[in-house]
Amino acid sequence: MIGLGGLPLGTLLGIFGAGAALIVVFYILKLRRRAVPVPFSRIWDSVLKDKQATELFSKLRRLLSLLLQLGLLALLVLALGDPKPKEDLREGRHLVLLIDASASMKAIDVKPTRLAAAKAEAEKIVRGLGASDRAIVVQMGSVPTPRSSMSGDRAELLQAIAQVTASDTHADLEAALFFGRDSLRGLPHAELVVIGDGAYAKSALPAARVNLEGAEPRFVPIGKSGKNLSISEFSVRRYPLDKARYEVMLEVANLDDEPVDVELELSGDGVIVDVTRLKLGPSERLPRYYQDLAGASRTLTARIKAAAGADEQPADDVAYALLPERRRARILLVSPGNTYLEATLLLDEYLDVAQVAPGAPLPAGKFDVAIFDGVAPTLPDDVGAALYLNPPAEGTPVPLGPPLVDFGFDTWERKSPVLRFLSMGDVQVAKGHAFKPGPGDKVIGASEHGPILVGGARHGHRFVALGFDPRDSDFVLRIAWPLFVLNTINTFIEEDTGYVSSYRTGDVWRIPVPASLATVNLLEPGGAKHTVPVSDGRAVFRGQLAGFYKLSGGADDAPLGEFAANLSDLEESRIAPQKELTFGGKKASALPVSAVSYRSDIWIYLLLAVIAVSLLEWITYHRRVTV
Amino acid sequence: MGLLDLIRPKSAPRRAEARRAELFDDDFQKKLESLAIVSRRIFAGRMRADRRSKKKGSGVEFADHRDYTAGDDFRSVDWSIYQRFGRLLVRLYEEEEDLSIYFIVDASSSMSFGDGRKFDQARRLAAALAYVGLANLDRVTIVSATDAVVARMPTTRGKGRIFKVFEFLSELTPGGTTDLGDAMKTFVAQHKRRGLAVLISDLYDPAGFERGINTLRFNKFEPFVLHVVDQKEARPELKGDVRLYDCETGEEREVTVTDSLLEDMARAFDDYQKSIERFCTSRQVAYFAADVAMPFDELVLRVFRRGGFLR
Repeated sequence: MIGLGGLPLGTLLGIFGAGAALIVVFYILKLRRRAVPVPFSRIWDSVLKDKQATELFSKLRRLLSLLLQLGLLALLVLALGDPKPKEDLREGRHLVLLIDASASMKAIDVKPTRLAAAKAEAEKIVRGLGASDRAIVVQMGSVPTPRSSMSGDRAELLQAIAQVTASDTHADLEAALFFGRDSLRGLPHAELVVIGDGAYAKSALPAARVNLEGAEPRFVPIGKSGKNLSISEFSVRRYPLDKARYEVMLEVANLDDEPVDVELELSGDGVIVDVTRLKLGPSERLPRYYQDLAGASRTLTARIKAAAGADEQPADDVAYALLPERRRARILLVSPGNTYLEATLLLDEYLDVAQVAPGAPLPAGKFDVAIFDGVAPTLPDDVGAALYLNPPAEGTPVPLGPPLVDFGFDTWERKSPVLRFLSMGDVQVAKGHAFKPGPGDKVIGASEHGPILVGGARHGHRFVALGFDPRDSDFVLRIAWPLFVLNTINTFIEEDTGYVSSYRTGDVWRIPVPASLATVNLLEPGGAKHTVPVSDGRAVFRGQLAGFYKLSGGADDAPLGEFAANLSDLEESRIAPQKELTFGGKKASALPVSAVSYRSDIWIYLLLAVIAVSLLEWITYHRRVTV
Repeated sequence: MGLLDLIRPKSAPRRAEARRAELFDDDFQKKLESLAIVSRRIFAGRMRADRRSKKKGSGVEFADHRDYTAGDDFRSVDWSIYQRFGRLLVRLYEEEEDLSIYFIVDASSSMSFGDGRKFDQARRLAAALAYVGLANLDRVTIVSATDAVVARMPTTRGKGRIFKVFEFLSELTPGGTTDLGDAMKTFVAQHKRRGLAVLISDLYDPAGFERGINTLRFNKFEPFVLHVVDQKEARPELKGDVRLYDCETGEEREVTVTDSLLEDMARAFDDYQKSIERFCTSRQVAYFAADVAMPFDELVLRVFRRGGFLR
């Protein structure tokens, strides 16, 4: 049985009536023939006399022409009615197709990849949508990304599926379910279809509790094998007291239940530095350290190789790291003489130190950092930041509080870059002063009597002030002393002592950049370029791909630095596919076979018929068959 | 020439003058002279006033005998016959007289159909043949006819009168319906002197072309039919549904013109022409089809060769 899904029958009849009337009027007008003079009509009479027999056929042919026009109109009006089988006239389904595009979908246990298989399944679902069905395609990565609108247009949906690309991130099933639930809110016959490998260890638990508000959970499992080797950790850092040298830590994990032989390769700037053969037991995680490495290497790449079939996921077989860039810093030391301080500044070969006595004229040129030892002169504009050691009351950036005797650090900011790697609890101080920090100042360390280590900014210049002379304490005898000075200098010159050798894909990255910039340009490993906003001196970006990134910005788009990003997600490396999935409080079922229906758009065939008949009439007219 | 000259319609007299100048230009007149010379060479010795009428009378050329009747001139009795056969017979002689040539130009609307080539050709032919007649010292009369005699150029002779012929023909304007039967009745009533009647027409007579020719025949005129034919009328450029109307009578026909219909039309046109030719031939009427596409001087020569006009 056929029913109408478009305009109602009454409207269609009205349109047909008006159209038919118009055609008949045009038809009558068409019969008003062109008047042509002839010199002698009697000759025509003799010709037309013979044609009398064909007159009836001619009239019939004209009538046929009118009927043909009316027939074409009827077909068009019927097409407006969108006729379709009765079974297609039911209220359509609304589907959210969540296509897993996480790193695990790059696995090749299903040829060519799991993602390609998932996209093929999604295409199959779209091609089977009924005439009233609507769907939206969503790429499920660390954040859900809609690739289409809620549409019944197959071409749009297929194009959206083609746009889905795998990333080097985990899949946040919970966020995707929230998105799908919100998209389906209020729509009848709602279904949430997850097409993926089901390896969502991180978000599986919260996803199971998501209230789908009546939407039916569906799952289309993808994948066969869980064999995988991964580099789960990869990190590099310079030695704080010898920044020319660095050490590398990485961890290789076997995520299968069988032992496997692995070849681990470490490259620096594209040149192989080390190749190691490892044997990993079942489910073993093997850390490796490369200590005391030297050289001018900028980029580091670790790669693992295994026998064929032992590793189905190539995405986590490579890890990237970048050594922090080093640059020379100019230091102005204003001190009457301080052996401990001078010795400390000798530790870093990248520091150019200019020392002057208090009261002496300052040398010309710009300085990144000034260290004022027991003095607090007015800070010249050419100096970027200042470290005050036991500043006097006059000129101190932070007002002095009451004098202190026999005190120490009772509390300190462990996450402050100034105190990185330091334990201040054992420092004993004979005498000094507490500070009275103002608004915006940050107390980095304090005794029970008041703040003794304060950071902040004055007139655009950052500062750190220590409330005692280090020589009046055992601070200078501890390893913490040079680290404190160098940390402070590195903090000021933004040579990141807390340098992150690589970011984790899927997370929101906050990359330090010059605070004066509003946006920076970010070049992805794949070559794509993004403009990234800067907030509080940090470029904020959610990276999806592993590899090396380049930052640039400013008026001339000058290079601002590079950084690396890695998957580094052991959970995402667990690629064992799941045959079942529970979310929305119930076990997701497979798509019923009946849900994949043959879509019959009769109106298309009606239009094709109109075109065919029009073409036929056009040909017969120009061939003078019907005139 | 200014812009105003382009957009301002020319006055009717100026147009007629221009038309006349175009119709009978110098080139035309030169050709007329050569045609007259050619006609003399072809019919040498039979040109001047030796056109004999069939009228028997007091000429010098013996023609026949007839029985003597009371009142006949005794001088014409053939006494030698009477001596041999004992019968009184009178000698008859052909009476010599000047031949009268009448040019009847069809000036109906159908003659100007389309671009008016038929009417122009008819007038050129009439002028050319009239010139030959005038040059032969014949008495030339030209009339134009539609369903009546609408204009008449008085009888004239001598080739010096050719410009009167030009003027008369130039001022003819086509219009009206064709009825050669009625027109020829008027013509014969107006012209008692019999002679050669050259009918120049497309013969599109709804009442039948035969009536006009028969009227001439039955009134002792010698008809010479110059049938002006335009082949374009046999194959009109028409397609599709049209309403045909007769340019003279206004009669209408609704027709769907197809290729096959056009072929039938061409065939009917040829049949009509052949029926005219057949009619004339069967009645010893000189007939000549003058195609408008043919130069008039060539047509005139063909007319001469065809015979019937010059004897």
